Amino acid sequence: MRVVIAEDAALLREGLTRLLEDRGHAICAAVTDGDALLTAVAEHQPDVAVVDIRMPPTHTDEGLRAALALRQRFPGTGVLMFSQYIETSYSAQLLEGGAAGVGYLLKDRVANVAEFAAALQRVAEGGTALDPEVVSQLFRASRQRGGLATLTPRERQVLALMAEGRSNAGIAAELVVSGGAVEKHVASIFAKLGLPQDESDNRRVLAVLRYLGGKPQLQEG
Amino acid sequence: MDAAIRRVAGTIVGAPLTSRNRRELMYCGFGGIAGLAGFWITLVLLLSGLTISVSVIGTVVGLVLITTTLRVSRRLGSLHRRLLNRILGRQVEAPPPFQPGTGILNRVDRRLRDRPAWRAVWYALIKLPVSAAQLYAVVLTAFGLADLAYPAIWLLFRNHHGGTLTPLVAVVPVPFGGNIRVGSWLGAFPAALAGAACVVAAAWLARGINAADARLARGLLGPSSMAERVSELERTRALAVDDSAAALRRVERDLHDGAQMRLAALAMNLGMAREKLGDDDQAADSATVRELIDAAHRNAVDALADLRDLARGIHPPVLDNGLASALATLAASSAIPATVSASIGTRPAPAIETIAYFCAAELIANATKHSYANQIKINIHTERAGVLVLEVSDDGIGGADAAQGSGLSGLAQRVSTVDGRIDVSSPAGGPTMVTVELPLRA
Repeated sequence: MRVVIAEDAALLREGLTRLLEDRGHAICAAVTDGDALLTAVAEHQPDVAVVDIRMPPTHTDEGLRAALALRQRFPGTGVLMFSQYIETSYSAQLLEGGAAGVGYLLKDRVANVAEFAAALQRVAEGGTALDPEVVSQLFRASRQRGGLATLTPRERQVLALMAEGRSNAGIAAELVVSGGAVEKHVASIFAKLGLPQDESDNRRVLAVLRYLGGKPQLQEG
Repeated sequence: MDAAIRRVAGTIVGAPLTSRNRRELMYCGFGGIAGLAGFWITLVLLLSGLTISVSVIGTVVGLVLITTTLRVSRRLGSLHRRLLNRILGRQVEAPPPFQPGTGILNRVDRRLRDRPAWRAVWYALIKLPVSAAQLYAVVLTAFGLADLAYPAIWLLFRNHHGGTLTPLVAVVPVPFGGNIRVGSWLGAFPAALAGAACVVAAAWLARGINAADARLARGLLGPSSMAERVSELERTRALAVDDSAAALRRVERDLHDGAQMRLAALAMNLGMAREKLGDDDQAADSATVRELIDAAHRNAVDALADLRDLARGIHPPVLDNGLASALATLAASSAIPATVSASIGTRPAPAIETIAYFCAAELIANATKHSYANQIKINIHTERAGVLVLEVSDDGIGGADAAQGSGLSGLAQRVSTVDGRIDVSSPAGGPTMVTVELPLRA
């Protein structure tokens, strides 16, 4: 994988660089603000960009704005937003243009190096990686909606993993069950929630998020 | 009954002989002259300011004149308050000090909205007839005393024979009075009587007019009315709310950029170390693992230090032992040698202690950064009842200005949220002395 990192804290920038290089990925550039990120991506055309949300000069949402610009100008580059906070409205904005090649993770997730690397890989390949925190926020917010109550505990687990962007195979590995069992759960969830069955993982993520109230508008294509 | 009348008459006639009368007349003199001068200064400045600012070109000049009027009238007001206090012993409390804003427009705006200054303008204008009456009382006394002395003057200077005597003229400065011509020694007695009457009348006039003046001063030069007090409280409450919101934002920012970031790095390093250790049956790359754990260890230590600094910034634990020892600790860690002298009677409320502590910390930091001083002195005392006074002085180059948007204006805001005040004396070339006054209870 070829990666560009945008992170203003030197400690984390260097840590991420080392972590990814250790795993055999190439770090094309490691920059400290949004403008430099756009320049670096234009220059290196990487597979994925890891973007901190709060960066200079205002330390508010520079990273998010840079990420949205990246999505528009370089659709081929996956964007993984990487932050100490989860703001549901940020994930909704990021997902507005579709769920392909989008990720939003808490910085805490880097503690599990293998999972973090897998999530980054997924985003680089055009998949989705949403933090469990994003998903649980949406679950909490949508508790009053009747559909969720009809799901079995296992189905809820599967739904949460689907919303994070995992494929059926990924869910099967996480829950240590067979692929066939996952497929059965997924079919049952879609039937109970009245969602259209969809083969594509990304469209599936969007359907689930829309059901949960994350509000991303599905755009075809 | 007779005795009562005699007592009243005695009081009336005896009034000029009391020491109080001396003070009243003295106030009539000084207060009258100050009032007269103040009236003309205020009138000329204000009228020229108003007329000039009506013309379009003159707006700036006019505004300058009007703000000058307001500044001067505050000064005049404090002069009058001091005269009342020093001579008559009548206390008129000072209104809240002017709060300069930052930026020229803001400052002009604050000046124009400065209610205590506008009331002082009113005082200066209304005082004209009062000043006239006060000066009249002085004049009346002077002529009265002169008239009273006529029999003696006659004996001393006119008691010779031969030649023609020009009659002496005794002036009685009352509206329908006239001059009494004194042609003989006996003739001098009516003049003396008139003089005595003038002196007595002047004494009572002085008392009356001074009482009226004091009442006027209390109304217009004292602290503001209830409505103004309310708007002042609203303003300082807004400052307090902003201040605490800003403080919370700062804490969040410090956490985000400090401890949280270090803990994320710590997690990352430990995660990588665990990967390197591999499963039980794999040989570990021990050198790399050690290096990663060292880094994680450093992250943990740094995060602890960050959290400790942050906690101390929220509430310094040393304050629990009282302001004196907290300031001593602060002084000990100052880059410029600092000494503390403290005499605190009643212990201030915790909120006041915290504000005083942070004021001292900020002032020491300011001195360290800007003053090039060799020595800082911190003095804190409660000599005046109900007031905690913090003085931080240094022997540096001076030139500190509260209006320059420095840390000082932030301090002034913080202090004003509890009705405290801050006074900066820092002439170019030094020394600098900052005095912070806080009520003992917020």
